[in-house]
Parts: sequence; C-alpha cells; structure tokens
Amino acid sequence: MKPWSIAVYSAVLLMLPLAGCASHKTEPQVAQPKTVATQPKTPEPVTEPQEPAASKPTASSPAPGEAAPAGTPATAPVPSGATQATKPATTPAPNGANPSPKAATKTAPPVAKAPTPPVTPPKPAAAAVASTVPAPLDLTALKEKLKATKAIGVFTKISLKNQVDDLMKQLSDHYQGKGKTTTMPELRRAYDLLLMKVLSLLQDSDQKLASEVVSSREAIWGLLSDPKKFATLQG
Amino acid sequence: MNKLTLVVARSVIVAALFAVPLFADDDEALKKDLTAVIALQGLPCGQVVAVTELAKDDYAATCKDGNKYRVYMNAEGRVVVEKRK
Repeated sequence: MKPWSIAVYSAVLLMLPLAGCASHKTEPQVAQPKTVATQPKTPEPVTEPQEPAASKPTASSPAPGEAAPAGTPATAPVPSGATQATKPATTPAPNGANPSPKAATKTAPPVAKAPTPPVTPPKPAAAAVASTVPAPLDLTALKEKLKATKAIGVFTKISLKNQVDDLMKQLSDHYQGKGKTTTMPELRRAYDLLLMKVLSLLQDSDQKLASEVVSSREAIWGLLSDPKKFATLQG
Repeated sequence: MNKLTLVVARSVIVAALFAVPLFADDDEALKKDLTAVIALQGLPCGQVVAVTELAKDDYAATCKDGNKYRVYMNAEGRVVVEKRK
C-alpha cells in the first residue's frame, strides 16, 4: 500500500469520532429563552416601581431599621429621606407598610443629599408597562408552531392531541349539562395540568415556544371558559 | 483482489461507520418520544431503554424500571399504552 493512501485512511479513521459527535444536535436556543422567560416576571417590579427605591434604603439599612430603636438614627435617615424628598405626598402607603416612616420623619434635613437615584426608575417602568400589554392571541399560529416543533415527538404530539380533545369534550359536556357534572375548577385544573405537560416537554428544547405558551395560557383559558367563545372554537 | 473492489469495500465500511450514529440518533429520539407518551398516560416507567417495532405505529417499549409497555395507535387515531407482562 502506498504511503499517501495510508495517510488518507488514517485521516478518515481519525475523523470518525468527530463524525459521531457531529450527528449530536445541539440547539442554540438556550440563551434566548432566558430573556423571554424573564419577561413575564418583569411585570411584578413594574407594578411597584417605587418599592425598589424604598426597599433599597431598607435593604441597605436593615441594621438601621432594626437599630433605629437601638439608637442609631443619624445613619439610617439619609437614604430613606432621599426617597421621600422626591415624593413626599404620593407615597404614603408604601412607607406606611414599611417600618420606615419614623426614619422618614426624622430625615427632613438630609433630603437634598441624594435626589438623583429615584429619578431613574420611571423609564424602565414605562417601558415595562408597554411590554406587559398582552399580545393578541393567535391560536392558529401557536397550533402550527406546536405541530412543527421538534421538541415533541410524533407519538407524544398525538397523545397530547388526544388529551386536548378529551378536555374539549369535557368542556362541551359541561356547557351542555350532560354526562357527569365536572365543575369549572376541575376543568381548570385539567387544563393547567395539560398545559404543564406541554411545557415540561417544551421547556428544555424549545424555550421560546414554551414562553409563548405560558404567555397565552390565560388567553386560551379565557376562550375555553366562555361558553360563547368556546362554541366558536368548536364550530 | 481488484483495486477497484478494494476501494469500494473500504468506502462501504466507512459509510457504514458514518451511518451508525445517525441510526442511533433516531433510536434515541424514538425512546424519548415513547418515554414521554408513557409518562403522559401517568404510567410508571422512568425511561425507555429498549424499543422493538411490532408494526407500523406499534412499539414494544422496555423501561428502565423493568416495566414493559405496548405503545400503539388505534383505529380511532388515539395513542394507547398497554402494560405487558
């Protein structure tokens, strides 16, 4: 055998393990869904944009807050006073909920020291409010995406479809008042369970679709739980 | 042996070696699919470790915990999971 042919065959043999690895599919979607998944969580800070500002002082001053009765009022008032300087009358409720009002009343003098930090939160709050506006439910597109996803096997999809059909029949029976009387909370539980099954199948391999399903969850239930809308779905 | 025959034989061997991981990949996908189907029915399995195709859309699955199931699609288009002894 010629030396060049030996080299070629040895190169081919060396590449075989690489070929084995090449058939292993790695999905590059891991990074994206994290940001998508965090979106539903953002509304919480949005509704309470002032709390972080108020909580910062409390977080930074758990010792002052706790130490306030102990007798260290000089250090604690500075941050809490800064937050109240910008909103003296608008935020009485949050402060009332926190143990900071004492500090707030005492912090009248150091108010001017740090007025800038509370100014920044409104912008993200406004942007987040805009993002929380629920997108219109496109059931057909979602259905197509679920059909097309490779995260769920064919048999699993058929099995899921069977279970969806079962739930639809249960809902139909419920609205028509026939069959065994399943209550609406029971049907909601069945719906939630089914959705959880779908999500458990999607979340590892198709997180984008999983987050879409999550965001459509209430909208879909809105269709199912309304007899009139449900009738249009059936028809 | 003819030189051409030798080259063809070697090529077939190399192609077969490349094809093995692809088939293994399909097999793993099927196992995962059947694992999910069995789990969706709420039946104990853990993980499908072996699959035998009995017919079209009809499989015998062996689970890690020793349970055996027949997973098939019936005439109504429903996926049925039956426990096997």
